[in-house]
Amino acid sequence: MTLTENLFENLRLELRRGCLTLAVLAQLHEERYGYTLRKALADDGLAIDESTLYPLLRRLEAQGLLASEWREEEKRNKRFYRITPDGAQLFAQLLAEWQAINASVTETLRARTGDAQ
Amino acid sequence: MERLDRYLLAVRKHLPWQRQDDIIAELRANLEAQLEEKEAALGRPLSPAEMQEWLKALGSPLRMAAHYQPQQYLIGPSLYPIFRNVLRIALSWSAVIYCIASAAGWLAKSPHAIDVLRALLQAPLVLFTVAAWVTFAFAAIEIAVTHQFLKLPDFCAPSAGWSPAELPPFSQEAAGGKKPKSFAAAVAEVIFGFFWLVWLLLVPAHPFLMFGPGVYYLRSLPYALAPIWVTAYWCLVALNILQLLWNAYKLTRGTWQIRHPFAFIVFKTIGLTPVVLFLTATHHAPIVLKDWVQDPAAYAARLQEINQMANLSLEIVCAIILITLGVDIVRLSLDAYRKRVAAAQ
Repeated sequence: MTLTENLFENLRLELRRGCLTLAVLAQLHEERYGYTLRKALADDGLAIDESTLYPLLRRLEAQGLLASEWREEEKRNKRFYRITPDGAQLFAQLLAEWQAINASVTETLRARTGDAQ
Repeated sequence: MERLDRYLLAVRKHLPWQRQDDIIAELRANLEAQLEEKEAALGRPLSPAEMQEWLKALGSPLRMAAHYQPQQYLIGPSLYPIFRNVLRIALSWSAVIYCIASAAGWLAKSPHAIDVLRALLQAPLVLFTVAAWVTFAFAAIEIAVTHQFLKLPDFCAPSAGWSPAELPPFSQEAAGGKKPKSFAAAVAEVIFGFFWLVWLLLVPAHPFLMFGPGVYYLRSLPYALAPIWVTAYWCLVALNILQLLWNAYKLTRGTWQIRHPFAFIVFKTIGLTPVVLFLTATHHAPIVLKDWVQDPAAYAARLQEINQMANLSLEIVCAIILITLGVDIVRLSLDAYRKRVAAAQ
């Protein structure tokens, strides 16, 4: 991997990091276990490594944003996650923040594109 | 499945022991579900090669387990700037104290080259030990803060108690570029250098210029200066002539504002010559008796005391100059290195 590619990869991961939490919280308004959550995110175009997603769920649970429960499904014990009321409140705030950032960046890019043309 | 079991066992080894079972059970459920889906899509179990490829894609067990660790750094971002400052101060003071202690050790006995070499070789070990202890202390503080056994004082927060009114006054030196020497200062340096040289040349013929009325008292004493003083004196004169010529040269060339680190080091090194001459003088005796036939019986013991005191003073002066010279060389080397790095960027 060249230096530029490495730099791009680091910046890309940095850019995705904040969005992942938002996407996970959004998905977990509906109860899911780790693997189905990962599939749902991938189906929406946000593929995440197992080594990133599963520990992230633990951290969000430790922060009180998610609640989990072990339950048997298809003859296998699985840990199901769902967003908590605190998580839902924080999600609404984060979503508003993300939308504001998105609008600002879009506007900046539109202005730059306009300048270039 | 056997490979998956082995993988999970390897992950388990690197997990926090309190949560190993829980994490592995969840990871197993997720990975087995994923594996079953893959096999259902293929209509057959994965071949050993496919299984190996899939496990490889999951990442090494160490990497997988590392993401479950609550803390991935020894010293966190809030403590790190303080750690860096404390480390810098601790290393600087350790170096100074080590130099002084070594010099004091040499003064206590006759120094040999091997003693100096030994001290130099031990210096990195001393500094490394200091750095290790500082790092260890900060890592312990970080763990205590992370586990909420300890709360950092407010002044450790990046912006706590900070006020723009407390900013130090602006100076060009602090802004990066050293303040250039003015023309008036450069001219004054040459003029005073000239008068200083004239005064120095007049002293042997007119000691009154240096000692004032005390010269009559000194003449009444049974002691005199050893011949080494003549050599040291001419060395001092030569050094001052060199310095004066160099300053005059810079003035005439219009380059008095340019700093010459190399010349600075050279002059400081040459400045050591008179001191070294005294330290290497015969019998280490900068003071002698005027009358060697009659006086030794009466003044020998006192003379020995005076010469011992004089030598001790010279050794201390020499050590101080050497230490400051070392510090200057390190500082100038760092400046040069920073400039080179900045230029390269």
